[in-house]
Amino acid sequence: MNENPEKTAHFGYKTVAETEKASMVADVFHSVATKYDVMNDLMSFGIHRLWKRQTIASSGVRKGHYVLDLAGGTGDLTAKFSQLVGDTGQVVLGDINSSMLKVGREKLHNLGLVGNIDYVQMNAEALPFPDNSFDLITIAFGLRNVTDQNKALRSMYRILKPGGRLLVLEFSKPEHELLNKAYDFYSFNLLPKMGELVANDGESYKYLAESIRMHPDQETLKTMMNDAGFEQTTYQNLTGGIVALHRGFKY
Amino acid sequence: MLTNFLVAVVERILNTALVLDSTLIAKLKPVTQQRLLIDIRDWQQQFVVVFTGQNLHLYNTKETLYDCMISANIDTLMALQNPAMLTQLIRQDKLDLQGDLNIAQGYSNAFAAMDIDWPEHLSRYIGDVPAQQVWQLITQLKSQGDKTQLKLNNTITHLCQDELAVTIHPIELEQFKQHTRQLKGQVAQLEMRINQLLQSN
Ligand SMILES: C[S@@+](CC[C@H](N)C(=O)[O-])C[C@H]1O[C@@H](n2cnc3c(N)ncnc32)[C@H](O)[C@@H]1O
Repeated sequence: MNENPEKTAHFGYKTVAETEKASMVADVFHSVATKYDVMNDLMSFGIHRLWKRQTIASSGVRKGHYVLDLAGGTGDLTAKFSQLVGDTGQVVLGDINSSMLKVGREKLHNLGLVGNIDYVQMNAEALPFPDNSFDLITIAFGLRNVTDQNKALRSMYRILKPGGRLLVLEFSKPEHELLNKAYDFYSFNLLPKMGELVANDGESYKYLAESIRMHPDQETLKTMMNDAGFEQTTYQNLTGGIVALHRGFKY
Repeated sequence: MLTNFLVAVVERILNTALVLDSTLIAKLKPVTQQRLLIDIRDWQQQFVVVFTGQNLHLYNTKETLYDCMISANIDTLMALQNPAMLTQLIRQDKLDLQGDLNIAQGYSNAFAAMDIDWPEHLSRYIGDVPAQQVWQLITQLKSQGDKTQLKLNNTITHLCQDELAVTIHPIELEQFKQHTRQLKGQVAQLEMRINQLLQSN
């Protein structure tokens, strides 16, 4: 038997070597980057916009704030934050994937949003910032793709200012069994088909569906956040718990 | 989520107004980045409005950070007619106003002066006749809204002059400065005269 068995992580339903997950996730997002926004609208019937609005409404963000939109991808949240923090604030769009960052940068440039946004490639598990830097960190539909989620949460805690807050927007567990079933059918049968048709990439969307199901439920994530040091951790179910918005503070 | 959706729709309409009436942005300039919180008590809902320089952002929120806040029942908000009632309403705890009232006034003035030919814009999408009909409906609704708008305006103006004197208007500040300057001049003269008197003795 192997003396030192390799650590493993979930890649959707597959179990893969921990070292491999990051690059497999990278492949998924390289391959969906350009179609990402269209697919988001299609897959969620546009509802992801409302989920994101709720995130902003709960963020307390205002003029002069320093914000990290982690796993920010194509920058939907960054676009709003950039306007809300104004000239005296700053937003960092952070993502592990250069293709997503590139699409994000182009999109935000075209929206005329320049001046207070930095684009930085980074891994959520080892954030390249000093302690106590940010007023707000958001990670929207990103945490489930991260290999070591506990490590990532600790890293976010470290770089938040005292008084700062973390918002995690992520797929979660629907509150009702029936909704759960309908949602399962949708994500395992219809979603990969849509991915196939629109983005010509059924496999990537199959991974998305599976990773959603493997992601910790509401209470588990809340505990994980508390373990990382966050206080006053609460969550709010959106759309029957298909998505949950967790919020925690650092004091 | 439904509220969330409706708020998004209202935000869209407000931003369409910004595009259609190009003077609005200039009018809103004084309130750039100022957060107006509207707390509708009986709905148990709070809304925050911020103009960021290009766009208006409207959120349904539980945050309590603001630069100006108005809190009342929806009926009270809609029925703010007689500015004299205000003090009374505040005393009765039916209305609460906090922060810099110029901000509320700034937002309300900008939209009061809105100049948009909505039927013209509408007809481009849906044709002349339906546009007219839709417009009639909207005008009816709007006249209701205008009344509220006017009330709010009067109210706020009145409140600024009211005995409450919750905030100092820039003009008042200017007057105050002028008075101080005069006073300073007079004191200087007085000092000179005292010195002269002292010397002549
Ligand atoms: C589903 S997208 C979400 C994008 C955006 N936040 C949104 O809500 O539209 C997930 C993003 O997480 C990024 N990601 C995955 N693992 C990451 C990691 N370890 N660190 C930082 N970003 C990561 C991916 O590159 C991808 O852009």
